[in-house]
Order: sequence, then C-alpha cells, then structure tokens
Amino acid sequence: MSNLSAMLLLWSALLASAPAMAASMPAATPTPGFQDNEGCLLCHKYPRMGRITEDGVLRHYYIQPEVFSRTVHRNVPCRDCHVEINELPHKPIKTGVTCNTECHSVKNPATGKPFSHKPIVEAYRESVHGRNKLATGTDADKPYCVTCHTNPLYNPAELAPPKQIIDRCTLCHEDRSFVTRWYNHTSRRIREVRRTSEQIVALCSTCHDDQRMVERHQQKAKAESRELGRKFPIAVESYEESFHGKMVKYGFGAAANCLDCHADTVNYYKSVHEIRPSRDPASPVHKDRRAETCKRCHTYADQNYAQLDPHPSSKRGDNAFRYFAEMIYNIIGYVVITSLVGLSLFETFGRRRDGVGWRLVHGSSWWRKSKRGRDRIV
Amino acid sequence: MKLSNEARDVLETSMRQNRVSAEQREEIEAVVAMLPEDRVLLYKNVVSNPLGDLYRYSIHIRIQHMLTFVTFLTLAFTGLPIHFFESFWAEPFNSMLGGVNITRIIHRTIASVMITSMIYHLLTITLGSWQRIRAGTFDIRRTIIPLPKDLRDFRADVQYFAGKRTQRPEMDKFNYKSKIHYFAAAFGNGVMILSGSTFLFPELWAMILPTSMVAHWQELMRLSHPHEALLALLVIAFSHWYNVHLAPGRFPMQWTFLTGKITREHQMEEHFLEYLRNLVEVPAERKILQDVLESRELVDEAAGRKGR
Repeated sequence: MSNLSAMLLLWSALLASAPAMAASMPAATPTPGFQDNEGCLLCHKYPRMGRITEDGVLRHYYIQPEVFSRTVHRNVPCRDCHVEINELPHKPIKTGVTCNTECHSVKNPATGKPFSHKPIVEAYRESVHGRNKLATGTDADKPYCVTCHTNPLYNPAELAPPKQIIDRCTLCHEDRSFVTRWYNHTSRRIREVRRTSEQIVALCSTCHDDQRMVERHQQKAKAESRELGRKFPIAVESYEESFHGKMVKYGFGAAANCLDCHADTVNYYKSVHEIRPSRDPASPVHKDRRAETCKRCHTYADQNYAQLDPHPSSKRGDNAFRYFAEMIYNIIGYVVITSLVGLSLFETFGRRRDGVGWRLVHGSSWWRKSKRGRDRIV
Repeated sequence: MKLSNEARDVLETSMRQNRVSAEQREEIEAVVAMLPEDRVLLYKNVVSNPLGDLYRYSIHIRIQHMLTFVTFLTLAFTGLPIHFFESFWAEPFNSMLGGVNITRIIHRTIASVMITSMIYHLLTITLGSWQRIRAGTFDIRRTIIPLPKDLRDFRADVQYFAGKRTQRPEMDKFNYKSKIHYFAAAFGNGVMILSGSTFLFPELWAMILPTSMVAHWQELMRLSHPHEALLALLVIAFSHWYNVHLAPGRFPMQWTFLTGKITREHQMEEHFLEYLRNLVEVPAERKILQDVLESRELVDEAAGRKGR
C-alpha cells in the first residue's frame, strides 16, 4: 500500500471511530468540587461496596461522587467526619461518625473557628429524644441525627441554579463555579426547604405510631415507676382524629403539625431539637404555656381555649365522657330510625287492610278491595 | 253521623269564631248529620283533586319549607362528604363542586340562609298566632303545640293499624305524626346551628363557658354535628319522603308543598276535625260533600229518616 493510501486509511479509521471513542470516555463531571484528595474513592466509589453485619443489617460503604457533590456536605473532606480512619487499609470502625465532630478544613467564616454541629448536638442530647450514637434498649428507639437528616441535595426543587442569577453574580465574581456553590448554599436556606406538614407528621409517625415501640417504652416506664405523657400511647391515632390531623392529611390547608405545637417558634430550627415532654415547664405544650402556643394560630385563644384537646380520642380510658356520649348517640340514632321506619311500615299495612293502594285513580287512592268489606262505590 | 264530644266542641268553637248565621248553622248541621258513621267509607268515596282541595299552608309556610328543603339538602351534601372524606362516595361529591376548600364555604353560607329561614318561620308562627288571638280566632288545637290528645290519638291509631279498631281516631289539623316530625326537625336544626357555631367560633364558646365545661362541650358538639346531620338525613329520607312520596294514598307525590292545599281524602282520613272546620269556613265544601254523599248513597240512615 502506498504511503498516501495508508495515511488516508488511518485518518478515516480515526474519524470513523471518533464518536465511539468519545462515548467510551468517562463523562465530564458537570459539578465542580468534590475533592477526593486522599484516594478514598479508589474503593468507595463502587456501588456494590458494603457488608452485612452480625445483626443481619446491610450497610452500604459507597458514595456516588456526582450526587454527593450536590449535597450540603460537598465541601467536607472524608476524614473530617470519618475521624477514626488513620491508615490504608483502615481498621474496623468502632463508633463511626458522630455529628458533633469539628471539621478541620471547613471554617466558620464568621468566627474563624472550625465548623461544627456541636451546639445542636448538645441541645439535642438534653431533649426527650437525646441519645448517643451507639445506644441500647429503649434508647435505641430514639432517633439519631441521621434518622431525620439524610444529607440532602441543596435544593431538590431546583434542578439547576437559575441561569439569570448565576450570570449576574458572575459578572463581578468571575468564577462561575464559586458563584454556583454560593448560590446553592444560600438558596437552600432562603427558599425555606422545610419539610411540609405531611412530611413532618409522617416522620414523627414512623416511631410514634409504632405500637411495639410504644409498648416497650410503656413497660420500661412502668418498671421504673415513672409516668409517660397521657397521650403518648395514642399520639398519632388521636392526632389524626383531630381537626389539625384531618386538615394536614387531606391537604386542606395550613394546620398545626407535630412541631408547630411541640417545638417553639422562637429559634425554630434549634427548638425542634429541644423537644421536651409535656410535664417539663419548658415545653410549649406544658399546661402553663398551652394558651400561648394555641395563640400562634388561634389569635383569640385564652386559658379556656387551651382546655380543648388537640389529641382527641373516644377511648374509654382516655376520655370516658366522649366514649359514653358517642355510645348514647349511636344508640339513639339506631333507635330513632328503626322506630320511624317501623312505624311507617306498620301504618302502611294497617291502612292497606282497608283498601288503599298506590295509584291516584279517578281522584281516589282507595281503589283496592278492603278486607273488611267497605269498598268504594264506583 | 252523631259527632263525638270532641268533634262537637271543635265544630261549636269554629262556628262561634266564624260568627255563622242561624241559616248557615242549620246548613252545616244538616250536612254533618248526613255524614256516615263509618268515616272510612266516607274518605274512600270522595273525589280528590291530586293538587289539593282544601287550604292548609300559607305562602309563608310554603316558602319556608322550600328554603328548608333546599338548604337542608345542600348542607347535607356538602357537609357529609367532608366528614366522611375517605369514603368512596364522598370523593365525587367533593370534587364536583371544586374540592373541600369550596364546599366548606358553600356549607357555611347556606347555613346562614337556613338560620334566616328559621327566624322567618319563628316570626311567622308568632305573629300569625298573635294576629289570630287578637281576632278571636285562635284555637290551640289547630297549632303544632303537642297536647295530651296526641298521645291518645297515637294509641288509637296503633290499635287501628293492628286491626283492633275499625276506624282511625279523629285527629286535628296537625296529628301526632306531623308534630313528631316538626319537633324532630326543629330540634335537629337547633342542634346543627349550635354545634356548627361551636365549630365556627370555638374561641367565643371557650370564652363564655366555665373552664371545666369547655373541653366537654366541644367534644359533644363535635360528635353532635355529623351525627345529627346523618340522623336528620335518614329521618328525612326514610320517614318524610316515605310519607309524602311512597305511602299509599300519597304516591307519586303530595302537591301540598307547592299549592298549599290538601286533598279531601287526606283531610278526612288524617285530619277529620279540621275537615269539620272546613265545612264551616268553606260553604262550597258543604255542597260538594252533599253531592258526593247523595250520589254514592252514603247518606246516614238517621239523617235520611229526617227526610233529607
């Protein structure tokens, strides 16, 4: 083959295979940022990475970098949280990540100190849900941080940051990736990515509607001779009986969800971590604070209004008045209807005996033959 | 027919209140004497205009009934689908009008129409009674007020249905059945308004009641509203509609709610004492009655012997 034809063959082969080559190359990472400086992803990028524990629980040991780089922990290097890792290959973990770790790398720009969730964790530990990461017995029923906080995407309602906003900021700040990161950071907070009432009720119900969990805690409380909240065993069921529960469930509009009463509105995002039992005077549902809690929505509520039960039930043990009222109402209902219908039927049979029928014929309904021989004279 | 003491008293009162002349009195007495002893034969043989023969309900009462009828059904069919939201039948009712956000507003608005109708009714019956008292034509037996006679009538009627008596008792303008129905509806409406107001103004009720009662009151009202609604709907459907549409003698429908008039056969059967008053107040009725009796040869023997 001549040199020219060989050259032509080579070029055409290259051109022909260019699309195939492009397809086989890894896709360019669209989002900037997730820096794997220590090579963790060498192993931990594989989706099958994991193990089954002695208790039969499947644990996943991988992350998806393109997803993780859009979450709120995007900027945090692996070992800032996974502090127990000191060498490769690393030894089996004892405790694992606890959310009160101080990040080495991420600084709080306002104070210059290492960023940490410690204040929240400490507040949480004082609350009725407080627990350590490794807990046993009834403490293990309580939610740990990751039960509710699942490292979410910046703003799931936004597929991509709005181009106009990014363009505008980039005009001065020049670095598009910097601007995108900043935008993501603030948009999540400004756009109030709060759980909806339905989601909050569903979240709280995962534990508070679990009968076995409730029974465990009742038994433990009984063994320790202490009292649980009066509505604790029927919390979710009774909430769903209430007007609030129904409005939330059926999507009619804004009505109180669990946190709207059980957490303070002052410093809300902290106070949802500081939930106290109702017997604690600091709780918004303590009897001394109830009226002011109701007033958040019911402007004219007073002490009397606070007597109304937002967790109503007809169980005899909880509300004997309602139990009997309902029973009496049911009885009256059945009796009244049965008697009225019975009387109507009785009357019909009685009148038919004398020959009344179901037609208005020639101006009279009494066209049938009477059983007592008193017929119409036609 | 020889009138019973009760009937005689009713007739005398009516003749006195209407200040009938001696001639008219004679006429009335004559036609009453012609009535057969067996009232069943009487009402079996009259000819009735299905639209009604004898005046019974004023225009006010008819308007109030129409208002109550429309508002009650609207309230029931907007309210019950809200209460029974998860039932299969509730979904079409709710979505038909655009969802619960709309039906709840309709419900409250129509409720205020119903309350207005109730006030209108209370005014009608109070002012109407006052007018009659002033004119000297008031007779408590013609009102909806329950009397001991109603208990006696109920007992006698039950005996008739059981076959123990041959005739129905002589009942007045509003018999025991009408009175039961009226007070059931009035009571039901009252409970609905009271419990409805507790839903709409919970803070107000909480403020005015003593503290120990507040929670129980709300709970009771919260139970009453849907319960009473359902009960009222069932009563209306199975009792009232049965009596005006399905009962033999009323089928296919009674026109009284529109025309205000009751058929002759109904009046004689269930409101005989009022029929006697009709004979006094409506001279034409005497003629019609006489014609019927003579053409069907039902004239009472005793009267016949008197040579009429």
